[in-house]
Amino acid sequence: MLDSKLNYIACCFILLLTCIACVKDVDFDQAEDLTLTPIVAASVVYTDVPASRFSENGVEIQVVRDSIANIELFTEQFVIDNLVRTDLVFEATNSISREFEVDVEFLDDADTLLDSFTFNAFPSILTNDVVTETVEIYENERLEALKQTTKMVLTLRLLPSTDGSSLNENSTGRIILKSKGLFYLNVSA
Amino acid sequence: MVVILMLVGCFGSSQNKQLLFGFNDIPQSVLINPSTVLDNDYYVGFPLLSHIHAGVGSSGISAFDLFADDGRDFNDKLRQVIFQLDRSDFFMATQQVDIFSGGFAFGRGIEKDRYLSFGMYLESDAIAYHPKDYAILAYEGNATNIGRIFDVSDLNVSGEVVSVLHVGLTKKMNNKLTLGGRGKIYSSVFNVTSTQNRGSFTTQEGQNNLLIHTFNLDFTYNSSGIASLIDDENTDISNDIKTLRKRLLFGGNLGLGLDFGFTYQPSEQWTIEGSLLDVGFIRHTKDLETYTVNGQYVYEGINPLFPVVPDDQTAEDYWNDVADNFEELFEIDTTATKYTTWRPTKLNAAVRYRFGKKLSKDCNCYADDGGYLNAVGAQLFAIRRPRAPQIALTAFYYRRMFEGLQLKATYTLDSFSFTNVGLGVSTDIGPVNLYVLADNILEYQNLAKAQSLSLQFGLNLVFRNSP
Repeated sequence: MLDSKLNYIACCFILLLTCIACVKDVDFDQAEDLTLTPIVAASVVYTDVPASRFSENGVEIQVVRDSIANIELFTEQFVIDNLVRTDLVFEATNSISREFEVDVEFLDDADTLLDSFTFNAFPSILTNDVVTETVEIYENERLEALKQTTKMVLTLRLLPSTDGSSLNENSTGRIILKSKGLFYLNVSA
Repeated sequence: MVVILMLVGCFGSSQNKQLLFGFNDIPQSVLINPSTVLDNDYYVGFPLLSHIHAGVGSSGISAFDLFADDGRDFNDKLRQVIFQLDRSDFFMATQQVDIFSGGFAFGRGIEKDRYLSFGMYLESDAIAYHPKDYAILAYEGNATNIGRIFDVSDLNVSGEVVSVLHVGLTKKMNNKLTLGGRGKIYSSVFNVTSTQNRGSFTTQEGQNNLLIHTFNLDFTYNSSGIASLIDDENTDISNDIKTLRKRLLFGGNLGLGLDFGFTYQPSEQWTIEGSLLDVGFIRHTKDLETYTVNGQYVYEGINPLFPVVPDDQTAEDYWNDVADNFEELFEIDTTATKYTTWRPTKLNAAVRYRFGKKLSKDCNCYADDGGYLNAVGAQLFAIRRPRAPQIALTAFYYRRMFEGLQLKATYTLDSFSFTNVGLGVSTDIGPVNLYVLADNILEYQNLAKAQSLSLQFGLNLVFRNSP
């Protein structure tokens, strides 16, 4: 008699717990909507070239060029799949009294030109720093071209002076280039 | 609903067993304090059923916060959670199943002053801190976090499955003091530990270039018992089960541990007790896997040299150096190293006041404890965790309803909530002792809103010779 009563109470307690226990108003499938959209910022190239570099043996050098090969960043599968936009930010600080043209070219393994852009670094007046900034935005087809890139070529082109003067070993000032890339990712679950 | 309850159970709860502690009608209470004097002469637990405990906890959020079906964008909610939670917030799960257990009172003279208890149980325990800086980096990237120090130590996880063989002795020293101790042999089935990470990653405005990136990484992940199960060629799960069975019976990485406890009764009505559990370690020497990433590197960009003679020497060399440095920085060293893990040591303490004697004409059935029907008191629980101990405070009321039915109600303040009300029932039907202990019962209306849940139940055969 007593046992059955105890049984009853114990069962009631367990039943009560299980009956009132429930999970309401939740939808765990939402996790499938997970999308990560980080923006990765990374330094790209930088350089600091004195005016004297544009002269050799008293002769003005109009073009200096350098390249970076074996760029594997864009051939990574993760990047191919998830990179949706890239902004390249270049900043030139010119304290030389001459205007420069800066060429940035992207090539593939076969040296095919995939994309390029040019911007001007305006001349300095009285050796004051003149800062020029340019932002190149890569999306859609232009981004696809960038994703084939394995080589980058950077060219500094000295434009003719307006007064006929030329740079020599004693010329003052420098041209400084700084750059960064903003890589927009879109990673879905 | 039952299925969901079981599911929650599978992922285990808070390690705090505030309902079981001091509930001496239940034989397994002696595992919480080895000096607890059990209210029986001998007992045998039903194999695999004598004690099943499962609990989950999350200090900062509930499932509802993230998965509520409220039409809000999941990514917005995730973002809110990532930022709202602190790096010291954690998620944990624990589970314990008795494989077998038993115990008996013995001693010279009529009054048996000693109690030997023994058994074997399987325990799983996992804790992960909110990897806040990693989550922010994955969610936002570094572009909008210039100057922020991303802390490598924000990744802090550990998890293990351990089988524990134990023997404990409870001894009444005199009328006031009872002492207890328990020796444990651990056999680790799996272990995963990554709790000693250091270093940082920062992106700042640079001098030579627009940005400067500083990497200072010291990351270690250790595991034991996992490599052989994952890497083996066979797809036959029965082989893995065989391996696991061996590990349960001392085939795994071994360790030793001790429990201590005391119960002091300065007067008939007052009791003070305390215990320290799992003071021990496991030494991992077999089936190891170690991953370490260690290095410092400062990256400002690639510096073209504009060589005098074109195509002679280019920025390529510089770039190759940069690439090599990055490769070296993120190179994963996989040399297996032996390591030691400390068990999550737990502290329990309680003060208890008993009152309200049973008015009985025929017998004093509870002669052992003066026949009091009620007890109130306070309990303290603390557990050693990778970053800082977790602490919980409990107030409780215990009541013997009538012979063979005891109740304990608790109110607990802990890292998870300030509204944790628990209820436990122990009932004896003949020699069969059945108990169910559940905390956070207010949350059972919607388990998704609970930040922690724990459920324990068990079935024992309990024998009392004396009336």
